[in-house]
Amino acid sequence: MNQKFKFALWLLVLPLFALAQTITGVVIDTGTSQPLLGVSVIVKGTSNGTATDFDGKYTVNNVPAGAIITYSYLGYLPQDVLYNGQSPINVKLTQNPSDLDTIVLIGYGSTTKENVTAAQTTVNEEEFNRGAVVSPGQLIAGKAAGVQVIGASGRPGDGPQIRVRAGSTLSGNQDALYVVDGIPLDQQNANLNTINPAEIESITILKDASATAIYGNRASNGVILITTKKGKMNSALRIGYDLQLAISRPQKYLDVLSGDEFRALINAGGSIDDIALLGTANTDWQREIYETGVRAMHNITVEKGYEKTAIRANVAYTNENGTLLTSGYERASFNGSVVQRVGNDLKLTLNVQGAMEEIRNADGGAVGSAIDFDPTQSVFDSNNGVNGFFEYRQSNGNVDALAPRNPLGLLRSLRNETDNNQIRTNLQAEYKIPSVDGLVFNGTAGLDYNEFDNFSARNPNSGVAANTNALRSNSNGTRLNQLLNGRFDYKKDLESLDTKMELTVGSSYQGFRRESVNVGQDNGTGAFNEPIVNFNENRLISAFGRATFDIKDLLVLSASVSRDGTSRFSPENRWGTFGGASAALKLTNTDFVQNSGFLSQLKLRTGWGVTGQQDIGQDFLYLQLVTPGENQAAVQIGNQFFNTLRPELTTDLRWEQTTEYTVGLDYGLFDDVLTGSIDVYTRETKDLLQFGPLPAGSLGNFALQNVGSTQSRGIEVGLNAKIANTENFKWNVGANVTFNDIKITDLSLGAGDAPIQQTPVSGGGFNNFIQEWAVGSDPSTFWVFRQVYDLAGNPLDGVFVDVNGDNVINDEDRVRYKQSNPDAFFGFTSGMTYKNFDLNFTLRGAVGGYNYNNNSAGRDNFAQVAENPGNWLNNATASILETGFTSNLNTLSSSHYIQKADFLRLDNLSLGYTFQGDKRTVRTSVTGTNLLTITNYDGLDPEVVNGIDSNLFPRATSVVLGLTVQF
Amino acid sequence: MKIYKLIIGLFVAATLFVACDDALDLEPRGNLQLATFDSLDDYQGLWAKLYAGLILGGQQGGDGNADIDGIDGGFSNYSRLYWKLQELSTDEAIIAWTDETIRDLHWQTWTPANQFTGAMYARISYQITICNSFIRESTPAALDANGIPQADRAAILAFRNEARFLRAYSYYHGMDLFGSFPFTTEATAADGSELPSFRTRAELFSFIEAELLAVENELPAPAATEYGRAGQGAVWMTLAKLYLNAEVYTGTPRYDDVITFTNKVINGGYSVNTSLPYRNSFLADNDSNGAQSEFIWTANYDGARTQTFGGTTFLSHAPVGGDMNAADYGLDSGWGGIRTTPQFVELFPGEENSLDGRENFFTAGQTKSIANVGRFKDGFAVIKFQNLTSTNNPGVNLTFVSTDFPVYRLADAYLMYAEATIRGGAGGSTGDAIGYINTLRTRAYGNTSGNITAGQLNLDFILDERARELHWEGHRRQDLVRFNQFTSNGVWEWKGNVQSGTTTPAFRNLYPVPTTQLRLNSNLIQNPGY
Repeated sequence: MNQKFKFALWLLVLPLFALAQTITGVVIDTGTSQPLLGVSVIVKGTSNGTATDFDGKYTVNNVPAGAIITYSYLGYLPQDVLYNGQSPINVKLTQNPSDLDTIVLIGYGSTTKENVTAAQTTVNEEEFNRGAVVSPGQLIAGKAAGVQVIGASGRPGDGPQIRVRAGSTLSGNQDALYVVDGIPLDQQNANLNTINPAEIESITILKDASATAIYGNRASNGVILITTKKGKMNSALRIGYDLQLAISRPQKYLDVLSGDEFRALINAGGSIDDIALLGTANTDWQREIYETGVRAMHNITVEKGYEKTAIRANVAYTNENGTLLTSGYERASFNGSVVQRVGNDLKLTLNVQGAMEEIRNADGGAVGSAIDFDPTQSVFDSNNGVNGFFEYRQSNGNVDALAPRNPLGLLRSLRNETDNNQIRTNLQAEYKIPSVDGLVFNGTAGLDYNEFDNFSARNPNSGVAANTNALRSNSNGTRLNQLLNGRFDYKKDLESLDTKMELTVGSSYQGFRRESVNVGQDNGTGAFNEPIVNFNENRLISAFGRATFDIKDLLVLSASVSRDGTSRFSPENRWGTFGGASAALKLTNTDFVQNSGFLSQLKLRTGWGVTGQQDIGQDFLYLQLVTPGENQAAVQIGNQFFNTLRPELTTDLRWEQTTEYTVGLDYGLFDDVLTGSIDVYTRETKDLLQFGPLPAGSLGNFALQNVGSTQSRGIEVGLNAKIANTENFKWNVGANVTFNDIKITDLSLGAGDAPIQQTPVSGGGFNNFIQEWAVGSDPSTFWVFRQVYDLAGNPLDGVFVDVNGDNVINDEDRVRYKQSNPDAFFGFTSGMTYKNFDLNFTLRGAVGGYNYNNNSAGRDNFAQVAENPGNWLNNATASILETGFTSNLNTLSSSHYIQKADFLRLDNLSLGYTFQGDKRTVRTSVTGTNLLTITNYDGLDPEVVNGIDSNLFPRATSVVLGLTVQF
Repeated sequence: MKIYKLIIGLFVAATLFVACDDALDLEPRGNLQLATFDSLDDYQGLWAKLYAGLILGGQQGGDGNADIDGIDGGFSNYSRLYWKLQELSTDEAIIAWTDETIRDLHWQTWTPANQFTGAMYARISYQITICNSFIRESTPAALDANGIPQADRAAILAFRNEARFLRAYSYYHGMDLFGSFPFTTEATAADGSELPSFRTRAELFSFIEAELLAVENELPAPAATEYGRAGQGAVWMTLAKLYLNAEVYTGTPRYDDVITFTNKVINGGYSVNTSLPYRNSFLADNDSNGAQSEFIWTANYDGARTQTFGGTTFLSHAPVGGDMNAADYGLDSGWGGIRTTPQFVELFPGEENSLDGRENFFTAGQTKSIANVGRFKDGFAVIKFQNLTSTNNPGVNLTFVSTDFPVYRLADAYLMYAEATIRGGAGGSTGDAIGYINTLRTRAYGNTSGNITAGQLNLDFILDERARELHWEGHRRQDLVRFNQFTSNGVWEWKGNVQSGTTTPAFRNLYPVPTTQLRLNSNLIQNPGY
């Protein structure tokens, strides 16, 4: 006899001898003893039931004795209770240990992990990278397939760059959309540094278009959802203190000639004049300008939960002296949240994040100058120097304005500080509409406001000040990001169809305004110029909806649509409709998987989505505009000066549109000892927005244009293994690898798909491009002269392949060669605990990409060393000893400098020990970041954004001591 | 309960409110403004920009917010680029710098990808386009539409005629340097959506000639022309240049017309003051030290209000290096770049010790011959444009020079008259020609000791005399091409990228069409040889 029939019998029989009663009770979490909101309480076999309120309380009427009451809640194990007239019935629910029921965020909502239909990865606090994390991006480096986290430079306050399924956008903003507690950040100023990484609870990365399409208008480059920590109801006072002390130094210096090597080079190949310029010192300029950086980070957190209120407050302070002399960073931040329940149906959440940053900017010119400066000169010159520093002078004794400046003189003569104050606040209201079961309203009002002020002052008694009176400048401004969105979520069980339905419909408004004023001094007279006012404003409006059906707990179907408007485009082009659809087949719930013996979970996913991009940085391009000329750029006619008005190019741009298809698989083997996912996607972007050349006859020679299409494909594989899972020893490892390729399929810029050169490089003048776009090739393909080598493999000086055989080497002989995009990148993470010890590390790497080593290309030839318009010599990169190049003719664009950039990096290694006390817990740790890089690349660092290696600022290696005390 | 409903109501109302399209209509402020063109002031600003296009790199002092992209703002300056293409490729100037392909100019090894020819092409094209914009916005219909009062229209019409002149002037540069040039008028869309058509050099010649003749009588006479503004004198000079080089441009000589138009200039009220030294014309007070009586049209620079790294700032700083003291020229520093070749030095009798006051070499520590292009001390330095006044005080700003650049001056008209006369131009008088030349030489020598006689007047003399009188004023390449001495004839140090110099193929009389432009516009045709 089956169950249903038994219950039917009960129902028929019970009323005859039992009077139906009203029962009440409270449902709480077993672990935390927190009341649970929205637990479904149903008299089994009937539609009689309710859901718990904010206090976990419920009331069910007409419950017959002997009825079975089912308590079920997302992410928890369901529980049945037999009713024998007892009341109240207080129930404790236990979290489902299987992560399938974990709640995960999706765009404008949440679901269970089991029901996720798209490619997305959530990284929780326990899985974050450890160590001296200053910027949130560092938390997830190496953690997720398809997500490239490119390490920050060594400059204090710099954050890493995050690329999600890179390559969809080439010229517009390639950053993902960051959504912090429901507030999308301004993509032109997504300063994640103002979010204290210690306050982040989880980071979810939405990778594929079916997931991001609900954020249609800015979703082409992925969406990163950041959730900050909140207090919990009815919890005791908790106080935590966290301290990190870090010391760091540059991981590597650029390999330039030492004083002795340089002397040998000049003595062998220089003219008498050149030799006369040599000094007697051996100065390693790079070592002179860097020092050991020190950083201290303090975090104090207080948390307390009351019956209807939960509060959490965090105060943090960071102070850093950078590796480059005179550079530094200081941040004080506050992160607070209040969760307040009002009545039974309303929950209000207030988040406030405030940060005050002070960035001490060192003179970045010193970094390049330390590379170029003659290593045979000494740092100081007490007789003929400027403020004691050696400087080059012209024959008449004046400081030579064109010569490189003494790097230390540069650093010591500049005071440049940026103050940045940011406050980000939002109020969220979640309201269960009482009259309609399952209908919830969610509203968010947010404000993100930021004030910055930079001033720069140069010591007049310095080499760089010798030829200018423009010693001071100031810029200040504000950024304001206002958000208002509201949505209705409706959940209903369609029992007749055995289907759970979830509907979401809502709209969002977001406005961004940025204003800044720059004031500089006149170079010659020192008079302050009139301020330059920059003003930008744009708005985004979106109406969106989503429907999800979970059919027979087996098939999940989801579709979303988003209608978006942007103020950046003309009325004809400003509206776009984006959307996506996806499906997941939960094979875990089938006999096939359950009986397989080795499979513990299996899910197939497929999705399609169309997203748009409009984040081009310029706000009014479609309007006919003029730029007024400054007073210093006036023209004199007769005796009068006239200020000018410049008419600007008007361009009518369209949405850049990306269409993506994804097929994926989530799997678990051997009771989830091995879990992971595999995703394959193909993507087409059309109407690419690109800053490209214009034909003569236009108002300007370069402009943003919709120029063509690309197609990209990728495979993302992730694997996690619980190698050991005993009480004393736990070891989890994760590995992920991403393969990606992209090619241009259409190029409407030139006539008839003609290739167009890209990416001007330093050391070049007008149109000196190093990459070329052509149909059928990767957009990061280099465009170079083919270097000719001798039999021993050494490059021949000034000898290049005459590709077209016309006996002349000119641009017609440049060819497309290699590409900067890697074929694959990967991450490997390991987390191990043994008793009270824990040990974690993260490895990252990439293969198949090439860098253009601009640093060497511009420096390892003798012409660059000796041919100067004054009395000085430039140092060369050490590779000059191998190339022996004498001429700089075409060397800047030689294939010799397209160099393999494969690498493997030990990003993070952390060892901790936890003292578990009765009243307090103390953890101590030591962490190394950026400890080791294995590569054959000759330049400073193989990991270069976009493959053009003109970076000179070395990344830092740090050792961090950490102490956490929890009361 | 009401408060919850109120909250929801507010959210719903607010989101619905903002969801209307109007919320997406935003307007700029600050350094970008909506183009309104509804007042004389607006038109005056647009008109001033047409001059600024020749003088400055962009909308901020020191060439900030540059008009063209892909090149440093200072390098992008029209006058600086034009000067480089007309002078660095000749015997008058050589530069030590290594900025990418800059040396190719003197070596005559440039390719279609040359940065400087490419930037010049973009500059000329940009200048023509902003002139087109002005002409389009100033038709009677446009003025009606913009509500411009009748009282202001005469001034705007005058601006419009200048815009037509300035457009023709830039087409003349394009035609001279590149032969053909993309052809656009006020009827062409300015957003790149309409590809300019191709016009041959002869077709451009006809267009330029017709435009100049059309505005000739619409522009003010010399006496009524404000300093720095283009009037009839500038039109006459441009026409005279066009006709003097007509044989090069179209194959048909027009020397009679040269006489006609140089005569208009010579009788226009300009004068060469032989009692003032030659150097006065190139000093920071050349707008007031007496030299200005000779100026037909100037590009005005000012250390306080017209700040650029092109123009006379470039021409004053770049030739100072070696043992020269920048302060001696009213400057804060030298840029150690430009010198001259021995062949130019030898044009002066007595070379660096010449009695000719136009000889202004700095030789201390310098060698006459150039062993190393990159070494400033190789080759004599030339002192011409300076930031000092005639009383030896520096200009108001030691970085940005206040010296005005004489685009056209009377001496040039004298020499063109003489040349056209020798070449058989009807109406020319040899006697007058000798008189004009001797006026210049009297000023140069400070007395009549340098004067010439009829027997000395011939074409070779004219070419050399033009170099002596007009060197570094942006004429040399054009002159050498006209005398067939630029490429396949004529040798000077480092021409052809060898120190002794060598001839180069004749196709280099024209600069190439930039590669990028050929790819963007299929209507364009590359010059032969490239």
